[in-house]
Amino acid sequence: MQNSVQQTWFFHRPPGEVWDYLTKPELIELWLMENDFKPVIGQKFQFIYRPAKEGAAPVYHYCQVLEMVPHKLLSYSFRKGKSEKEYTLDSVVTWTLTGKNGGTELQLQHNGFTILKDVVEHNDGWNFLLNRLTERLKVASNADANV
Amino acid sequence: MQTQTFDAFQVIADPSRRKMLFMLSKDSMTINALAENFDMSRPAVSKHVKILYNAGFISIKDIGRERHCILKQDGFNELQDFINYFDKFWTIKLKKLEAILNNKSK
Repeated sequence: MQNSVQQTWFFHRPPGEVWDYLTKPELIELWLMENDFKPVIGQKFQFIYRPAKEGAAPVYHYCQVLEMVPHKLLSYSFRKGKSEKEYTLDSVVTWTLTGKNGGTELQLQHNGFTILKDVVEHNDGWNFLLNRLTERLKVASNADANV
Repeated sequence: MQTQTFDAFQVIADPSRRKMLFMLSKDSMTINALAENFDMSRPAVSKHVKILYNAGFISIKDIGRERHCILKQDGFNELQDFINYFDKFWTIKLKKLEAILNNKSK
């Protein structure tokens, strides 16, 4: 079971400029979402999605800068849920920038999808469960195929 | 009986239901056998089983007088859907970024 999103893009602009679009709130908003991003490791920030539909509640994404190397690497946690503590989805978004052919290769990795509400109670965690289930389901589908 | 429906993430956000899935990932079990592993009333166990069933995580088979819970794939497809959702989400967003950056180079 695939457990991550990976994409590679190329832009005909230098890394410094692409970096600005990943780290300046007013520029991030142009292509991604309203946000209060600050380029400081450990900094908490939010992405806010406001649905166009009237009366629909905004969707908050609770994030924290994990790693940052200017013009090269940016990684932040990406949580979705009712509040910062009551989240149902946790994940990590990592951007890698490489100068290439007078432009920038931008790699996106969105992974670490986990349900962490009670990770203390279940040290094995969600990944263990997923692995077990994948195994189990493989066995089940092989059995089906043999019928 | 009216039961709530949850999405896959809500279903597995609950520790008891996660534990049930863990146990069922090893082998199918009767509701009674499941209930023995939990410090809760039988109706409470049934309620969790129903939620797992409604969300497509398990199927229930009546064998004799016993009800057997068997792990099912549908609920997990929904998790895969989440990953596919983000793949599309980022494609749309990055296309937008590409358009902005291309415009600038003109």
